[in-house]
Amino acid sequence: MDRIRLEDVRKTFTLKAGQTVSLGGVPTNRIPVLSGVDLTIRKGEFVTLAGPSGSGKSVLLDIIGGLTEASSGTAYVGATPVTRPDPSTAYVFQQYALFPWRTAQQNIEFALEVRGVPKAERRERARRYLALFGLRGFEDRYPAQLSGGMQQRVAIARALSTDPEVLLMDEPFAALDAQTRDILQGELLRIWDEIKTTIVFVTHSIDEAVYLADRVVVMTARPGTVKEIIEIDLPRPRDLEIRNTAAFARLRGRVWEVLRDEVTKAQRDWQIAAH
Amino acid sequence: MSVTSENRTHDAAAFSLWRHRFAFPIRMGSGLATILKGVPLLVVFFAFWEAAPRLGLLNPIFFPPLSVVVEAWLEMIRTGVLGRNIGISLQRATLGFALAVAVALPLGVLMGRYARFEQLTDLMVQTLRNTSQFALLPVFIMLLGIGEASKVAICFYASVFFLLVNTISGVKSVDPLFLKAARSMGASDLDIFVKVILPASIPSIAAGARLAVKASIVAVIGAEMLAAQSGLGYLIHQSQLMMETPDMYAGILTLTFIGLAVNYLLVALEARATAWRGQAEGAPH
Repeated sequence: MDRIRLEDVRKTFTLKAGQTVSLGGVPTNRIPVLSGVDLTIRKGEFVTLAGPSGSGKSVLLDIIGGLTEASSGTAYVGATPVTRPDPSTAYVFQQYALFPWRTAQQNIEFALEVRGVPKAERRERARRYLALFGLRGFEDRYPAQLSGGMQQRVAIARALSTDPEVLLMDEPFAALDAQTRDILQGELLRIWDEIKTTIVFVTHSIDEAVYLADRVVVMTARPGTVKEIIEIDLPRPRDLEIRNTAAFARLRGRVWEVLRDEVTKAQRDWQIAAH
Repeated sequence: MSVTSENRTHDAAAFSLWRHRFAFPIRMGSGLATILKGVPLLVVFFAFWEAAPRLGLLNPIFFPPLSVVVEAWLEMIRTGVLGRNIGISLQRATLGFALAVAVALPLGVLMGRYARFEQLTDLMVQTLRNTSQFALLPVFIMLLGIGEASKVAICFYASVFFLLVNTISGVKSVDPLFLKAARSMGASDLDIFVKVILPASIPSIAAGARLAVKASIVAVIGAEMLAAQSGLGYLIHQSQLMMETPDMYAGILTLTFIGLAVNYLLVALEARATAWRGQAEGAPH
């Protein structure tokens, strides 16, 4: 069964009046970011989006999440076209986006508050999800009192506390150190294995993309579109050691091969923009 | 998954908590030590105040010795004159400030949030803001009479712009990521106002409130000196006219104490309201 369907999704940013950039030597105030993305994601699937900077991965996530409108084309979650944030979709950001004036517990409760969940149930659910991420005892800490890894755990717990059918993750581990990132990848897989929600995960890291995904979607350089989809047929559950296997190396090489030209193109694009 | 590195993450966080717990008293301690360093100069000042009039260096009619001032001060406390006038002044200042909060918060949120509304109102606000509240006292008296209302109005006018400007800047500087996160969780516009924009603006609003309270106190004293039959400002001014200089200095000292006390109170309240922010420095990322 399909959970997410993208049909010829396009997005063009229009700069403010008077502002222009040079695209291919032509000054313009319209920047095409996505040029016709078609993609279908199955229920319970873990899909990672990889692509060079500026390939519109995050914009695509925003469109699925209803935070940004597509210029044309349609994104469906379930059977309904997305027009605004859907209660069954949750979002995790690179910079955690926890409210610094709320404790870990209160941050999780925010998502439940705005849904009108009664107080007792909010408390209970927030505690349960903090415990799920090994944060028992840290309920009353403010984000500033937590390490980056712990903050991102709270943010993921907040997203999952609403039992979302779709979880959108925008480079959630990019700001973390390598060790913490490894740990959180493992935790995410462990929890996903239990709840089997559909995850769309944007990343810059090929290793991360391959390690987590059922399928890696490689995007082209701007304007972004799907270049190739690579099936990751590694067995689950996966532990960290799977990265040392020949099968993993082959898949990593495959993704890199597809990605390489696009990265080069993207770099050329930025050089032009800089001139 | 490596268990050791997991523990290391928790250790790092635990260490940072430990550091925070101890950082606070140390800062308090060093704050007190800093204050104590300033005490000798204050003692010299008071000693000079006591000695100079007695030694004939200053005219005791204009500058009575500190002990005489303290005596007059104790007498005014005993008779209740001081307490009554403090009460009246603080009541005017508080009412004016409260009105300013009631007006500035909603207006500031609207101006900070809606650019078009700000464009319509900003020039008006800037014009009013740069008109001296004391210059307007005659206007307030004509409009509101010589009674309480004109004093409350001047306190309102003196404090409202500090609150307004800081509310606007607080609302404008809310991290867009917070708004995006709230929207992604399905928060309504009202939720976003009440649960995101307002709390995120608290540090800025609190700083504005501190300035506003001070301005309100300054305004009430000025107004009472210019046109009133009661209050601390009136008391100081009247004592000067009657050449009761010990009473005058007692009134001035009282204002100093009130200023100090209010400042410490507001700093403490502000620290409490923004406790979540104070710990941010040195936090791991």
